[in-house]
Amino acid sequence: MSIWPIIRLSWKNIWRNKTRSAVVIIAVILGTWAGTFMAAFMNGMVQQQIETQLDNYIAHIQIHTKKYQEDELPKFYIHSADSLLKDLQSKPFVSSITARSVITGLASSSASTFGVTITGVYPETEKTVSELYTTIKEGNYFEGNARNQIVIGEKLATRLKLRLRSKIVLNFQDVNGTISAGAFRVAGIYKSTNTSYDESHVYVRIEDLNRLIGNPDAVHEVAMKINNIEQADTLAAQIGNLNPTLSVESWGDISTTLRYASANMDTYLYIIMVIILIALTFGIINTMLMAVLERQQEIGMLMAIGVNKARTFSMILSETFFLAIFGAPIGLFLAWIGIHILSSSGVDVSAFAAGLEEYGYSSVIYPILEADYYLNVGILIIITTLVAAIYPSYKALKLNPVEAIRKI
Amino acid sequence: MAIIEVRNITKVYNKESLPVHALNGIDLDINEGEFTAIVGPSGSGKTTLLNIIGGLDTPSDGKVTINGVDMFSLKENKLIDFRLHHIGFVFQAYNLIPVLTAIENVSFILQMQGRPQKECFNRGLELLEAVGLKDKIHKRPSELSGGQQQRVAVARALASKPDYVLADEPTANLDSKSTSDLLDMMLSLNEKSNTTFIFSTHDQRVVERAKRVVTLVDGKIESDKYSK
Repeated sequence: MSIWPIIRLSWKNIWRNKTRSAVVIIAVILGTWAGTFMAAFMNGMVQQQIETQLDNYIAHIQIHTKKYQEDELPKFYIHSADSLLKDLQSKPFVSSITARSVITGLASSSASTFGVTITGVYPETEKTVSELYTTIKEGNYFEGNARNQIVIGEKLATRLKLRLRSKIVLNFQDVNGTISAGAFRVAGIYKSTNTSYDESHVYVRIEDLNRLIGNPDAVHEVAMKINNIEQADTLAAQIGNLNPTLSVESWGDISTTLRYASANMDTYLYIIMVIILIALTFGIINTMLMAVLERQQEIGMLMAIGVNKARTFSMILSETFFLAIFGAPIGLFLAWIGIHILSSSGVDVSAFAAGLEEYGYSSVIYPILEADYYLNVGILIIITTLVAAIYPSYKALKLNPVEAIRKI
Repeated sequence: MAIIEVRNITKVYNKESLPVHALNGIDLDINEGEFTAIVGPSGSGKTTLLNIIGGLDTPSDGKVTINGVDMFSLKENKLIDFRLHHIGFVFQAYNLIPVLTAIENVSFILQMQGRPQKECFNRGLELLEAVGLKDKIHKRPSELSGGQQQRVAVARALASKPDYVLADEPTANLDSKSTSDLLDMMLSLNEKSNTTFIFSTHDQRVVERAKRVVTLVDGKIESDKYSK
């Protein structure tokens, strides 16, 4: 027995009330588009945050002494840092590496004082590991030869009322635990996508900082980028095994939030889509229920003349399916176009950027979505259709042909 | 030879609360090619009897045999399939499928039976020609008059060459002219193809032209008369 007559009938039935069908189709288009685009937007935002965090601040792997990990004091620097650096530079998996001297202290201007992390860097190698230098808004990133230059964040500059070439005094402990201080001139002001970071991190040349902390060779942190970020955990463990006094951490160990966001992003994206689809499901159920209830007599007549329950179910299911299948590809296509265009130009959310940047998100978001997400959304919509068809179909199957005929 | 054998059929509604005895021990044989009117006042059980003969309702007691098949021994899906292949229905309010054209409505049952597309179309055309609607085959029900719709409904009922056609008050919504035309057409089909028609009615014009008139009163057969 052929099912095609029922499918043909379903097709004609959905055009019986064009306005109602159009409303459902538009709802499916909007739901699919909104869900997919929202997923791409969130995905882009988080991926950018992860990339920015790794590229500007964390790198892929960091090495400290274990003691420094417990208590970030200047005296817990890495001994024989030079040989460690040379050893790691020779490893094929390392793409770039730099050494840093990192201490905490107070930054003071004539206007105010604020607690900061002071990082002493080798500007040239630092540039290969961190792209923070690309966020310089005023001045430059240690281009001159003058001593005691400092690069500070825009937020800190505002807080301390500093401008280029302003004087800033840093107070901190030296390697002997004695309070030391140094005056620096603002050479550059950077503005990254994380204002909290900008407010609390300053950069100086490593030789200037080490001179003040009393050990010209002090290195507290070795940061590196590797060729395959997927191997960060494995390589960190391998490096750590070679020197038990060192604490070697992958980016995921350093920022568990980022690791969690990266690992669970897919789940979040599907949760967004499922929530939208649940809302759509009720819309479709409502429409199909109306369609069934207003056609009770007709469906009863069909059952009377010999349309069995499986076919009646197929008819309602097909009608539901047609409504969804019209809207879903259009919604996905519109989302794909939007994502494709905006993945290049970005979505400027600068109106809200002040809030976002507090959390390390960029003010220009580049939506991005894997191809398999589109396919999976398609599958989810088919499942949604099946679920949405169940109750209206059940109502149709519960109809008694005799009751329907009596209503005639 | 009787194609329908109704034996001691009873039907009681609201058995548990306030029982209503719609049918009280009906015995009836319908022979092939008969043109039978079941008449009686409202509430006499005409529609209930038709529903039971049509396999749409189950009797409280008794047996209905169609060409030797005990209809109510069939499981639900088999019974639906039985209706599809063996019984034609004509309803008072035509009940055509509004989104289908006349020919699609007629051939729908054949399509449901899985017959080839061409056969469905040819049979639909043949029947619509027989009911005088050859020029309306692509019209939808909303584009046809009540009489024309009921003709399409008759053509649909005959599409699968059923053992018999049940019509519940088929002329109730028709004017005199349409009623007369429909009866002419049904009688003609009955005579030409020996199709068995059973219809409930209290339209005297229909009763006068029926070849057999079964009168029900209070769920019992009061009289069963053949016309001369």
